[in-house]
Amino acid sequence: MKLSVNRNIGAVLWIAGLLVPLVASNSWISILSMFAIYAVVALSTDVVLGRAGMYDMGHAVYFGVGAYVTAILNVQYGVPILWTMPIAVVVAALVGMILAAPVVKLRGDYLLVATIGFNEIFRMILINDVGGVTGGPDGIFGIGVPSVFGYSIGSQEGLFILNWLLLGIALVLMNNLEKSRLGRVFRYLKEDELAATTLGVNARYYKILAFALGAGMAGAAGTLFATQLATVSPSAFVFMESVTLFAIVIVGGQASIPGVLLGTVLMFVVPQVFRELAEYRYLVFGLAMIVVMVLRPQGIWPRRNRPE
Amino acid sequence: MDIFLQQLVNGLTVGSIYALIALGYTMVYGILRLINFAHGDLAILGAFIGLTVITGLAGSGGAPANWIVIVAFVLAILVVAIAGVLLEFTAYRPLRDAHRLSAVVSALGASMFIQNGIMLIWSPQTLTFPEGIMPATTYNFGTVIISATQIFIVSVSFVLMLALYLYVNKTRFGTAIRAAAIDQDAARLMGINVNKVIVSVFILGPALGAIGGLFIGVYYRQAVFDMGWIYGLNAFIAAIIGGIGNIPGAMIGGLLLGLFSSLASGYISSTWQQAIVFGLLILILLVRPTGILGERVANKV
Repeated sequence: MKLSVNRNIGAVLWIAGLLVPLVASNSWISILSMFAIYAVVALSTDVVLGRAGMYDMGHAVYFGVGAYVTAILNVQYGVPILWTMPIAVVVAALVGMILAAPVVKLRGDYLLVATIGFNEIFRMILINDVGGVTGGPDGIFGIGVPSVFGYSIGSQEGLFILNWLLLGIALVLMNNLEKSRLGRVFRYLKEDELAATTLGVNARYYKILAFALGAGMAGAAGTLFATQLATVSPSAFVFMESVTLFAIVIVGGQASIPGVLLGTVLMFVVPQVFRELAEYRYLVFGLAMIVVMVLRPQGIWPRRNRPE
Repeated sequence: MDIFLQQLVNGLTVGSIYALIALGYTMVYGILRLINFAHGDLAILGAFIGLTVITGLAGSGGAPANWIVIVAFVLAILVVAIAGVLLEFTAYRPLRDAHRLSAVVSALGASMFIQNGIMLIWSPQTLTFPEGIMPATTYNFGTVIISATQIFIVSVSFVLMLALYLYVNKTRFGTAIRAAAIDQDAARLMGINVNKVIVSVFILGPALGAIGGLFIGVYYRQAVFDMGWIYGLNAFIAAIIGGIGNIPGAMIGGLLLGLFSSLASGYISSTWQQAIVFGLLILILLVRPTGILGERVANKV
């Protein structure tokens, strides 16, 4: 019951969010636009980290793959933005599977370190302009605006609606995952992999699948990120970003949709609002992470395990 | 061949620094199963405190260089060890029984906090160490050049590592540290004060880290607030290569990583050096995840 009440409140909030462009100033619209994008990436991190229980500290890679796929296809080959999204999803999911395949057997911390390694190697590939398509340290500029049936939706409001729609789709997907067999398999693998294996769960298959799902979702968010900023550069997909995503999930509450959204607000929106803190930003940020963890080790809004 | 030998000397120097910092990671991990992400930043804090002491005393004139260096190291060790203990009390101890990832996030927060703190106290810019602090003497063996600083770093590191090895393996308290690393509960039942052991690890690790950090400062003659993360990461990789949780492993891992990354930058590519190091790490994790001297882990049944 509790869950469906939460879900209804969530749906109402989401619809209310659609009306934001009517009332909010431009700076708030752009903050909420970025919130929607980062919320999707955070939810996608949660698929791997919070739901399947794999310590992924390199999730910014898949976000970056999506963003760069869109940037390269749009700027170099003139592919319309919205057409690049499915390609970004597929490429990011493939990269996720390829990277995950050899390492999912690693336990806890070793996997964490391997994914940090992926993130660093990815950053170096971007900076060193491998293949001459990434634009090196400066990245890629001049990404076009999306259009639907010939109508360009490049305005702040148009992009906001687009981002908000993706967030809605992501929330529906997460909600379905929550209730589906797949979600239960992930949870079982997280709680007790050995027991799951003895009951015939192919751990390797499902772990790679979790990475593919999480990476694909992050890839879709990457497309919208590139569109929102009209530019991509390596600095948006570095290890620090992965750390932030990781912290969002743990600070918010693993495998808890409201928790992850709240974590995104705390770790992403709040720092945007307190911009004047600029040089103290990480001091406050770091302290907040410690304080929240000490006061609420399970996260701010932990998942409630309902009886099954 | 000459290039090879020169890279070997450089690699040995960097490797001993990695090894010193790696010891802090491995000791904490050995007992708490926690990756102390703030450790690299603690080490760099040591470099900055040393820098302040050195510029302060060298500027006032009069004090002989040797004494300046000794005072710098002593103060760096003291302050960083205190910071390490504070970190354990405020950020880690309250999370001892929580989910492991809560402590990881707390460690990440501590890392950001220290890094930002260094930037605010000192400078967002790169600071340079004054000249004439270390003797400029170099020794030429054919075309291979070894500086006095390199000899100083390598020999002090080896003495420290030997001392730590003997301390951990030959003394009563060292035995308590090893016991707590194997099984905290059993150690507690045998009358070992595990909390005291943990505090001691948060003194020893940061103290060695501070020395390593200050070595980085005097060797490269510069310090920048955010370099803790890359040195920390390399030292952590060294700890994994040697077998995380294993003290001699961290020493061997540090030296091997230093040699490997020197040779990789000399022979393969210096721009890709860090990526090659990560490649090596992933390869080692896949082939032998527990490192060279690492624990053997059986699956629980």
